[in-house]
Amino acid sequence: MFSGVCRRRLAAAFAAASLALACSGPARAERARLDFPDNLTAVIDFRIVLTDGERSWTDGGFGRSRFGGGGDDVRVHAVPAEAELVWHGPIAWNVEGNVAVAYQDEQDQPVDLIEAFATWRPVPRGPTRFSVRAGLYWPQVSLEHEGPAWQVANMITPSAINSWIGEEVKVVGVEGSAAHPLAGGRLTGTLGLFGFNDTSGTLLAFRGWALHDQKTGAFSRQKLPPLGPDMAGAQPPWTTPTLEVDRRIGFYGRLAYQFVAPVSLEAFYYDNRGDPAAFTDDLQWGWRTRFLNLGARIDFSARTRLLAQAMTGSTQMGREEDEPDEIWVDTRFRSAFLRLTHEIGEVALSGRVDLFETRQRGEYVYAEDGEDGWSLTGAVDWRLTDQARIIVEGMHVESDRAARSRLGIAPRQNQDLVQASMRITL
Amino acid sequence: MRALVLALAAVAAAPAAAGDLAVQVRTANGAGVPNAVVTLYPRGRPAALPAARPAYQIAQRDLQFSPFVLVVPVGGEVSFPNFDDVRHHVYSFSPVRRFELRLYAREQTRSVRFDRPGIVPLGCNIHDNMIAFIDVVDTGFAARTDAAGRANFTAIPGGPVLVRVWHPWLRAPANQLELRAEVPDNGRVAQAVPVNLRPPPRPSRSY
Repeated sequence: MFSGVCRRRLAAAFAAASLALACSGPARAERARLDFPDNLTAVIDFRIVLTDGERSWTDGGFGRSRFGGGGDDVRVHAVPAEAELVWHGPIAWNVEGNVAVAYQDEQDQPVDLIEAFATWRPVPRGPTRFSVRAGLYWPQVSLEHEGPAWQVANMITPSAINSWIGEEVKVVGVEGSAAHPLAGGRLTGTLGLFGFNDTSGTLLAFRGWALHDQKTGAFSRQKLPPLGPDMAGAQPPWTTPTLEVDRRIGFYGRLAYQFVAPVSLEAFYYDNRGDPAAFTDDLQWGWRTRFLNLGARIDFSARTRLLAQAMTGSTQMGREEDEPDEIWVDTRFRSAFLRLTHEIGEVALSGRVDLFETRQRGEYVYAEDGEDGWSLTGAVDWRLTDQARIIVEGMHVESDRAARSRLGIAPRQNQDLVQASMRITL
Repeated sequence: MRALVLALAAVAAAPAAAGDLAVQVRTANGAGVPNAVVTLYPRGRPAALPAARPAYQIAQRDLQFSPFVLVVPVGGEVSFPNFDDVRHHVYSFSPVRRFELRLYAREQTRSVRFDRPGIVPLGCNIHDNMIAFIDVVDTGFAARTDAAGRANFTAIPGGPVLVRVWHPWLRAPANQLELRAEVPDNGRVAQAVPVNLRPPPRPSRSY
């Protein structure tokens, strides 16, 4: 049974989707693209979601997805999930700019700045290619996202690892890269310095891993699930991911090698050098977050590829000066995924398995807030035209977390979601 | 390309005793290799370059350079018209000829002269996946292989000829190999050149 709000949104979503499709049919595809200013890309994503299972963390629950069910009942959500406008174009001959603003229905700032950065690429003087990027951006960790609007290719929901990157690993920083041909392949090294990412880790510690496609805006807050009794006074039920708390500069490094064969490997290390004793007036803390991410991509053919990432890290928050050895929150996190995508004509089939876990060792967040889980996701991406595609995705998530007893539900929960997304790119 | 071969061959003064040479560059399993540059040095010496200088061109169309490989005699001038709706920033860091051209959308006026022999790899600073090569040659007998891997030469002085074959992905030092052929005083001789190619570099993913 749809609610009134739900029905209106559904009607509005389909009216707009039909209009957009009518404008982007084959006969008008070329004109629509030429009519739109060259340096602007607009992405509109309409979504219909069927889900069962527990309430989402976005709704005061412990659910791993952004959409929650009503216990055993199946719920239907129809939302204009995202509308994004991206400007990407030249600032000077060797400098490209990229600014993205998004409307996301469920964020506390529905319209927010997503990325704003410039990349300087001097003309190479030799085989080594240098570049410098500066601004507000996601460091290059995700193998799943692509394009100026940083969208997940061929699927709706990114892996647990890259869902977290999307919400808590966006920096205000500057990075330098050098790429050099080596043994027939190409070696790329990147070093970045950054600020405004001191609360990174808050969601992983309090909520744990999640699987969703929300992107954190520069001025947005993210909701936290119900906090334990010992933390409720020290941390409000939300976190601001883009925030400078302690005036310490963090760093990251990335090393990637593209082999002659269609295989590439990469390693990424991040340390925000957060001060666990620092906090703001509204109790946003400095979190000392460090992680290592390993990634691999194998292109078996032009149509078949394998993506894999594995991440391990830790985050620490809360320390009193007279007890320097007592850390309030000390969370270890690990996750890995394997994803296979195969294209048949205009259809891309993808399957992904995710494993994730968090472990708690802090003074005030206990083992009951640790979690083990896995998910299986399958998606069919059908490209209708250059501008329109429909992605249908099914996802099963299961996880075990004792802290669910705070809400009176069983520690082990599972959820099944089916989502249909109509993605229009202009 | 045939036009170039004919032009070059016609200029090379045909001596009384001259033969034809049909070169085919192919892989181990027999597939013809296009875009290889074959140059001939009769008795090991370069043949005279053509006096006439046709208009050489590497176009930018659909975010690609066209052609992928261009053969230009020393002293030749190449124009770089941009037929795309976006700008290109063409460059070469080759010691043979360093240059950069800033080409606005649909701009058709820039050209570069190449005064030294050698390979000039081209790139676009904005579009990493655009690559092309200019082979600046010092001999009048020079041709790029066609889709079947063939390059045909006429009126070559009879006797021993040094044959050089270059291809951007050729598995050999400096992507080049040399062999010797014997051109008859009259008639035509075929020369197969088996080569081993590396896989081309993969397109880069850039943000």
